[in-house]
Amino acid sequence: MKKRPGSLKRQHRSRLALTAVFSVIALVYVFPVFVVVINAFKQNTYVKTQTFSLPTQQSFVGFDNFIKGMTFGNYPFIKSMLFSVVITVLSTGLILLCTSMAAWYMERVNSRVCRGIYYLCVFSMVVPFQMVMFTLSKTADRLQLNTPWTIPVIYLGFGAGLAVFMFTGFVKSIPLEIEQAAAIDGCGPVRTYFHVVMPMLRPTMISVGILEIMWIWNDFLLPYLVLDRNSYMTIPIHIQYLQGSYGSVDLGATMALILLSIIPVVVFYLLCQKHIIKGVAAGAVKG
Amino acid sequence: MRRKRSGLRTGGNGVLLRHAMRRYWFVFLLPMTAAFAVGFVWPFLQGIYLSFCSFTTTSNARFVGIENYFTAIGDKGFIYSFWFTALFAAVALVLINLLAFAVAYVLTQGIRGANLFRTVFFMPNLIGGIVLGYIWSILFDGVLRMYNTSILMETKYGFWGLIILQCWQQVGYMMIIYIAGLQAVPEDMLEAARMDGAGRWSTLIRVTIPNLMPAITICTFLTLTNSFKLFDQNLALTGGAPFVFEKGADGTLNTIRTTEMLALNIYNTFYGQGSISRGAAQAKAVLFFVLVAVISVLQLRTTRSREVQR
Amino acid sequence: MKKCLLSLTAALVVLTGLLSGCGGADTPSVYWMNFKPEADAALQQIARTYQQQTGVEVKVVTAAAGQYEATLTAEMDKSEPPTLFVVGNSAALDRWGEYCYDLRNTPVYNQLTTDDFTLYDEQGRACSIGYCYECFGIIVNKELLEQAGYQVVDIKDFASLKTIAEDIHARAEELGFDAFTSSGLDDSSSWRFTGHLANMPLFYESRDNGGWTQAPARIEGTYLDQFKNIWDLYISNSTADPRTLATPGYDAQAEFGREEAVFYQNGSWEYSNLVENYDMDPDDLAMIPIYCGAPGEEKIGLCCGTENCWAVNAMASQEDIQATLDFMNWMVTSEEGTEVMAEQFGQIPYKNAAPNNNVFFRDADTYMQNGNETVDWVFSYTPNVNQWRAALASALTQYCSGGPWEDVKRAFVDGWNV
Repeated sequence: MKKRPGSLKRQHRSRLALTAVFSVIALVYVFPVFVVVINAFKQNTYVKTQTFSLPTQQSFVGFDNFIKGMTFGNYPFIKSMLFSVVITVLSTGLILLCTSMAAWYMERVNSRVCRGIYYLCVFSMVVPFQMVMFTLSKTADRLQLNTPWTIPVIYLGFGAGLAVFMFTGFVKSIPLEIEQAAAIDGCGPVRTYFHVVMPMLRPTMISVGILEIMWIWNDFLLPYLVLDRNSYMTIPIHIQYLQGSYGSVDLGATMALILLSIIPVVVFYLLCQKHIIKGVAAGAVKG
Repeated sequence: MRRKRSGLRTGGNGVLLRHAMRRYWFVFLLPMTAAFAVGFVWPFLQGIYLSFCSFTTTSNARFVGIENYFTAIGDKGFIYSFWFTALFAAVALVLINLLAFAVAYVLTQGIRGANLFRTVFFMPNLIGGIVLGYIWSILFDGVLRMYNTSILMETKYGFWGLIILQCWQQVGYMMIIYIAGLQAVPEDMLEAARMDGAGRWSTLIRVTIPNLMPAITICTFLTLTNSFKLFDQNLALTGGAPFVFEKGADGTLNTIRTTEMLALNIYNTFYGQGSISRGAAQAKAVLFFVLVAVISVLQLRTTRSREVQR
Repeated sequence: MKKCLLSLTAALVVLTGLLSGCGGADTPSVYWMNFKPEADAALQQIARTYQQQTGVEVKVVTAAAGQYEATLTAEMDKSEPPTLFVVGNSAALDRWGEYCYDLRNTPVYNQLTTDDFTLYDEQGRACSIGYCYECFGIIVNKELLEQAGYQVVDIKDFASLKTIAEDIHARAEELGFDAFTSSGLDDSSSWRFTGHLANMPLFYESRDNGGWTQAPARIEGTYLDQFKNIWDLYISNSTADPRTLATPGYDAQAEFGREEAVFYQNGSWEYSNLVENYDMDPDDLAMIPIYCGAPGEEKIGLCCGTENCWAVNAMASQEDIQATLDFMNWMVTSEEGTEVMAEQFGQIPYKNAAPNNNVFFRDADTYMQNGNETVDWVFSYTPNVNQWRAALASALTQYCSGGPWEDVKRAFVDGWNV
């Protein structure tokens, strides 16, 4: 189709205008993060009174807030970060492996019980955590699932719903023929899964993985109630501890810790954003 | 749709794989199911049982029958939080999806910097609820301070504050899904519409949107359940403030936290008035669960049916 | 299908087996569920000291701010529940009463110098005992007061306080400081008024009724006019615009620390902050009773009480209970223990209490010795305490923006239902 040169020009101009508009929106979008950054360097009392201004000579405290936040109490922040990483990585790995296997099994076997479990999983997505929080913390304690190395089991259990839902959606769209060919070639189900199914599930894996990472990294109440509190903390729990018992909050130090907790995820995101975005899109649309 | 496919599978070569797989249930199904039983089913069942009990901790529960449910339904704050949540969910549903769609539509028109914008818009998803609440309460108060007020002082500020926060976080995610959906719209259909002389609008409505139904289904589902289950952001941003007081029929004063959503209401009831209320909170949680389940099923059914019609 | 069923039952069998199979610990140990984040580091230290000396393990876990109930509830359900926890008021007693070990005639109970901070249940069991107490009142910067031409002794009742405060406020510009610090009503400060200031009308009402021993079903609000007196005085004699009090950003402690105001309503716990963080001279500091115009108020003292009360978990094993009681006794009798207690919690009501240098407690003692009546913390009887306080804060906020005092009354009186 031929376009008149005038219309092409107009289109070009309107696209430029859109780019300009979106640049402004994007700036507004990152503004909150920018505010966190500038306030992380301000003295506590100025965070509330001069929220939007850059640190001045008077309010600038250098890295004091970071030092304060990281050495607060008797628990080093770096340890909390480490446990956050351990919990997030282990849990996400476990969820991806176990739920994708289960989803494939349930979709292919498709017996009444499997459908039952599937619907239970879907229902679990809509259950508020508040409903199970105490019973869950008791169960976890009895089963010794209260350390960073065992809590992934709890995350697998409580987070199974969404993962199973998304994997099942994707498995449905995989043509059966490939798997059957593998079966005819003498591949057992386990090998079929690892060699044939799992590679095909990759986009959904990434998509589910992102969701789980975002959830687990930022989760507060579950680890707070479940972990053995004498030995383990995570970043959100640590941030919560900056509040004193009389409602006083050191906002400067809080901002500093928030910044420290955002940095790893942002770096992670920027490094693998292509996969992340592709994964989110693929997983969701097929689901 | 589901049944038709599984019907196919029972015949032919599908049987081979199915039989082989069934023997490996302990590899595939057991780990997830065991964890699911520990992490969800067991606590959930115990939770349902507790909703019929009076208790301080789960160890000293006494069975009291359904009185907790009457207490829960009789609680004005609970009913209020239900309507507040419903209103919030409705507004969030419309706004987030419209914005996400609009952004996705523009970004797929080949404008310069689309990838960069996509990256930026998705980023807030990485920040957790409590932290988001802290960040935005500082932002809102920084602005509202200039007008000598605060987000905690008026219900409407709290409501729109939560909406803005939720949009900021969710639009990016939904946008990604819409972009994928838009890219999947068959080019020949668009071309055909253009040949027929359809304008931009009618192409959008007649071709693009019908083809987008799967994306719309998933996005509405996600925004709806996210809104209903919203907790961290609510707790950190408003905590339910401001409060109003309403005199009940029996002369007692009911305190209603005017920006409190269902999940927060349940949470607050746990630590509210004496040990009886824990049972009532648990009963509320059961009611809440049923409600969300029903809404999700209805929503999925209606949008899915549109998909099939296409 | 059968296999699926099998897997489900197998999962459940494994689960129930594990659930019932696990036992508790063997050696006696102490688990203290602390609720003051500020004291955490010192308590961890003292726990280590005790362990070194006696070999008994002491575990201290601190709940995050605002999460004590959630934490306690979750921890109490676990296989090794806290043996020592906090039951600070009658509402908590109602909830946790059956978990409280009767402390009567235990060694630590016998060390108490007063019965004032002990919570008894209806059967007369001593459910929890105070491990420290605190005082609140109006903190005065004596140096500034003198600059304005007055002495602490000039303030004898509400009328004299009002005259002095209004005079200082009128001359604020010339003096360079104002009468009162800001009365912020946001979450970080509203408890000073909805909790502590509201104690005044509650106290007088309780006194009229012979002193409450449990939460009254309803209250009259007889002394709300006096409450209004003092509140009006606070908000109209400070630099803060009353309409903005609920906006965050006010920091009364900093205002007082920077010597921008003479009067600051708060408690003995502020001592270390003011002296250490703001380099204030302890000799410049004093605490006076909160006068609000009630009859006979010349003879009252500071408001002393505590919500820091130890309770011992009755459901714990006998050995753990014994270990916990031994630890408590050590805390209030040994040199190291009493020192930490004095340092972290201020005055402790025990015979061997170590001296502490907090001037506010000295003021409290002086009032007591002069025969002034200590104002009890009757606010601990408040039912639904968080809700009541939040309602009151909200009503006060509206009052400050021009709303009717009637709403404050309603929140105060009608909000009080058991």
